[in-house]
Amino acid sequence: MGSESSSVERLREIAEGQGVSPSDDDLEAVLDFVRRLLPALAELEERLPAETSP
Amino acid sequence: VNDDFNAFLHAESAEGDFTVAVKDVIDVAGMPTTAASKILRRVPERDATCVARLRAAGAAIVGKLNTHEFAYGALTNSPHFGPALNPWNPKHTTGGSSGGSGAAVAAGLVDIALGTDTAGSIRIPAAFCSVTGHRPTIGLVPTEGVFPTAWSLDAVGPLAPTATACRRALELMAGRTLEETARDLRIGVVTSLLERAQPEVAAVCEAAIRDLPGTLEPVRVPLHDEIATITQLVMLPEATAGHLGWLRTRLADYGPDVRARLLAGLFLPATAHVTGLRARRWARQEFERELGGYDLLVAPAMPTTPPRLDAVPATYRLDLMPYNSPAALLGLPVTIVPCGFVDDLPVALALTGRRGEDGVPLATAEWFQKVTDWHLRRPVDHASATELYTSRLAQPGRG
Repeated sequence: MGSESSSVERLREIAEGQGVSPSDDDLEAVLDFVRRLLPALAELEERLPAETSP
Repeated sequence: VNDDFNAFLHAESAEGDFTVAVKDVIDVAGMPTTAASKILRRVPERDATCVARLRAAGAAIVGKLNTHEFAYGALTNSPHFGPALNPWNPKHTTGGSSGGSGAAVAAGLVDIALGTDTAGSIRIPAAFCSVTGHRPTIGLVPTEGVFPTAWSLDAVGPLAPTATACRRALELMAGRTLEETARDLRIGVVTSLLERAQPEVAAVCEAAIRDLPGTLEPVRVPLHDEIATITQLVMLPEATAGHLGWLRTRLADYGPDVRARLLAGLFLPATAHVTGLRARRWARQEFERELGGYDLLVAPAMPTTPPRLDAVPATYRLDLMPYNSPAALLGLPVTIVPCGFVDDLPVALALTGRRGEDGVPLATAEWFQKVTDWHLRRPVDHASATELYTSRLAQPGRG
């Protein structure tokens, strides 16, 4: 993600693409959480043994 | 009901052999289900399966209990219904999301309270209110008639004054007897959770652990930090999917924290849930490989005593995750048993069993409660109540 404002805009696009219309305050409230979780997800994807099925 | 702790959202008089109140995400015929929200308003015609089984065994269902909005948080401070207050000190949180359940039992308002636990929601209030609670093995108690938080993690279980009462209620809800064993156990002590806990809490727990019946060995949970992330990857998309219709039409009617958490689920890539499910299998394999030989794992239930309602740390949820996520993700049974106090606030142990062996942590808690009296201490004067629950619920052949 880029700057904070562009990140909020990106989140808004994703939300509106799913029919949800959050406010700027809503998106700012969730931004830090998403910023923490996405790198953790990426790290997990790298470490997860390839042969592991759901 | 003389409810000084905002434990109840709805109460009725009812006749029966023992009293039960139900977290307000669980349907009771003829009583409103709100999930402590502004959005959900339904009056079901049928009891949830777990409620129907208790009613058939003689339970008087006396009301619906406060919860974190939609059971999606760890405080029980719904902006629509107000916070549940901790009977040990009303300035402190009950924890959540089953905070009304913890408060109602601690205050002696009911014999049994039902809660739900997706990622700690029975265990946190049981520990913070100094009552016994049990998160069952996933699938042991039917969730039909329970408003879901995250389908693959949700479990329904009892909170009660004693482990014996919890076991009896669980047997009724599960429809079968649980095996009882609490001898010669191989017990793993999760040292990392002792190390992360507030020192005073850790000291109380270490003293209690020495009383347990078995051989104690220090252990570490494999992939412990990763398990918190994996739990989020499973829980967030499931919770958000369950609320998507209302997110589109009623977004402003959610409280701010639940709204943020539900929105977060929209922003994970489509692969995240699948990665979470794959990683859950990986974590389960590692857990079985390293800890499968232990009958029981023991750790502090929570890293701290319940925080003040007006001073909840910003890291509150994150701090609790290592204590709650492993059993939630892996579907393991956990019994919470009171084991002491720090500054007059409750401290408890978490006894985690193997999947499907709910009788082991429960029997161990029963054993612990025969040699200690922490579970008998009450914040208000209802000392005789524990004898009543035990005598009424432990009668052989009941139900």
